[in-house]
Amino acid sequence: MAKYIGKRLLQMIPVLPGLTFLTFLLLYLSPGDPAEKKLKAQGVAVSDEIVEQVREEMGLNRPFLVQYADWLVSALHGDLGTSYKDERPVAEKLTDGMGNTLILSLVSLFLALIVSVPLALYTAVRKNRFSDYLIRFLSFIGNSVPSFLLSVLLIYFFCIRLKWFPVIAKGTVQGLFLPTLALAIPLISRFIRQFRAEFLEQLSQEYVIGARVRGVKEHLILFCNVLHNSMMPILTIVGLSVGTLMGGSVVIETIFMWPGLGKLVMDSITARDYPVIQGFVILMAVLYVGINLVIDICYRVFDPRMRDAR
Amino acid sequence: MKKIWSAIFTALMTCSLVLGLTNAAAVAAEASEEKILYVAEDFSYASLDAHKEYYGWMTSLYGVTETLFKMGDDSSVEPWLASEVSVSDDGLTWTITLADGAAFSNGEPVTAEMVVRNLQRVAEVNARFAYLAEYEMEAVDEQTLTITTPSVYPTMQNDLASPELGILDLDNTEDFDNAPIATGPFVVDTFEPEGTVTVAKNENYWGGEVQLDGAVFYYMQDDDTKLAAMQSGEVDCYTSVTAAAVEIYSLDPDTYQLTVIPATRLQFYILNENTLDDSVREAINLTVDAEVIASYLSGTVSATDGPFSSSTAYGQVTVPAVDTDAAKALLEADGYTLNGEDFYEKDGETLTLRLYYYASRSLDTLAILMQEQLKNIGVNVELYVEEDPDATYISTGDFDIALYCMISDKAGDPYYFIDSTLRDGAALNCGGFASEECESLINELQYETDTDRRAELANEIVQIAIDDNAFGYVGLFNKTTVMRSGVSGFAETSPFDFYAIDAGTDIAAAE
Repeated sequence: MAKYIGKRLLQMIPVLPGLTFLTFLLLYLSPGDPAEKKLKAQGVAVSDEIVEQVREEMGLNRPFLVQYADWLVSALHGDLGTSYKDERPVAEKLTDGMGNTLILSLVSLFLALIVSVPLALYTAVRKNRFSDYLIRFLSFIGNSVPSFLLSVLLIYFFCIRLKWFPVIAKGTVQGLFLPTLALAIPLISRFIRQFRAEFLEQLSQEYVIGARVRGVKEHLILFCNVLHNSMMPILTIVGLSVGTLMGGSVVIETIFMWPGLGKLVMDSITARDYPVIQGFVILMAVLYVGINLVIDICYRVFDPRMRDAR
Repeated sequence: MKKIWSAIFTALMTCSLVLGLTNAAAVAAEASEEKILYVAEDFSYASLDAHKEYYGWMTSLYGVTETLFKMGDDSSVEPWLASEVSVSDDGLTWTITLADGAAFSNGEPVTAEMVVRNLQRVAEVNARFAYLAEYEMEAVDEQTLTITTPSVYPTMQNDLASPELGILDLDNTEDFDNAPIATGPFVVDTFEPEGTVTVAKNENYWGGEVQLDGAVFYYMQDDDTKLAAMQSGEVDCYTSVTAAAVEIYSLDPDTYQLTVIPATRLQFYILNENTLDDSVREAINLTVDAEVIASYLSGTVSATDGPFSSSTAYGQVTVPAVDTDAAKALLEADGYTLNGEDFYEKDGETLTLRLYYYASRSLDTLAILMQEQLKNIGVNVELYVEEDPDATYISTGDFDIALYCMISDKAGDPYYFIDSTLRDGAALNCGGFASEECESLINELQYETDTDRRAELANEIVQIAIDDNAFGYVGLFNKTTVMRSGVSGFAETSPFDFYAIDAGTDIAAAE
């Protein structure tokens, strides 16, 4: 197993420089100048001479390859540079955002799993009954409502009408509840539909019919056989969702004032803050590869056939 | 299975209820005797070092830093940390006397020497103020300093009112980014970079009694969140209220106070003299109806004739009234005829204009409205959106009509805007406008020290550009402030973005 993990980690080596080079190139080619963005942040006009002076100070007048090589060498030494926007170390900004996003994402994912797995199993067992239709209809709605609208609706009911939760999160457990719900509801809705299809497929397998004929109790069949045999596709779906959650919760983070990675990277793109964007790309690449690795390891744990396969 | 579902449902409801009750308890606990103002803000920076970037805008707004002079509600310059100012006969040397008793929050007096060092520091750390390094600055005594400029510099007081020139205790501040020591009525209590900032009353404030015990500034970018926080009672006031929120607040005047004043951010368009005939430019200006546009934007902007508020002495210009018939007549006199699609054409070519804009500050809406209004007289307009105007159409000059938005009056004087948009070679004079008379008047304005004459010159210069149909000034963004009943003194009558709370800001006790 250790050899396998080492091999997978080595595969990342060519991926990261290629990815960062492409990102750097795209940012470089896109219109917009970090120096101008910084100087005109409040809508005040500044002369070309000042812009040029700041460009020089920021090293933006150097050729593209020199800028990229400079960044890459520093990154290889563990220094991701400082933000163009506010001169804070990139690593510090990413760490701050990462912690908040990680908490939000993992709690949302946990909530989504503990709700969606039993519901999906329930709808699969109760196929084409009223409860199945009702849950599928609700999951269809949950999947269709845009996250900004869902967030606003949650704030309206829970914060303004019921006054159960604060609008302003303040980093507390109460503050975490609504953004978690806003992230989890679409996820639950999607998971229910995807998991249900998987459970239905398993329920139609001959081993289920055989177990029922042998008089094995239904809950043992469901939890010990069907759920276990569905784990691999479920893991794949969950793994892909973690990546999406980590980078794609910008709307939720903005509405609920949750200072996470999504918001940080959107602000950085607007400000053409190359070092922060580069740092984010590396982080996400490592994260995706890491998640895939964890899933692959899980495959091997759950499926002995893969463990034995070369 | 039913049991599992019931268990999950019960667990979730219990969790919600417990968290909700805890919140209710927390809200009740917060309702103490202290007068704390809760504010929602669009911006929050990573540092509180007033001298760098635009961070001083926020420290000024937080009531932490003060400058030598401040901008009045009528855009006039008023003394603040300075009490008196005079300029030598040759107009080169400014003598500034500091206010009696001016002191930092740690009790240390503000000295002339400290002010000079502050100005020198700003010149070093802020590229926009690097010009200060060219000035000779000297502390004459404890309370008097002189600033000598290489040439006459009439807007010295206005510049010294810039929030970036907030005076800090350079000797005793250990952490400029997180805890600057300054002179304002409030001191920094807690600071989260790009997050929430809390300030507490400066017990040693030199300027008199401070009414509030403190304030909390939440960094809130989303308009719906601000509205919800105001409705839930978590926020007491904020500016930049959207038109939709104004409608909601207006329904409950007992709870909310709304103030709307024209501010300093201008929406305007540049007409390219290199690509458009005189008649076409004039027809455009006769067609674009700023009042209709302002009305469509539901009170977020006020229609304007010129770049400055008409309440200022330098905002007195005139534009011809909207007259679409006259616009059509102009085009027809120039040889344009209407084709079968109701668009004007000449020599077989439809009159099609390229309008460039960027999707910010309602310029996207303005672009569509202008397209519609021009279509009504037979001018076809194609819209092109760019993300960064400065790097694209403004720098290349490749457009027929270019939309732009900027602060036109940053410190109560017209020179900055005129110099940035009308001077030959200025970055925003990208539509080919050139006038010797205008250039000469701008040169005169640069060195004119008499305020009344400056206003006259500014009006003449802007009028030349208007008469030449080089630009079209559409709207000045309104500063719309909402405050909960009982809140007062939130700079709601100041058109400038960098003022909010001061010693007089107060929350009336509930009856």
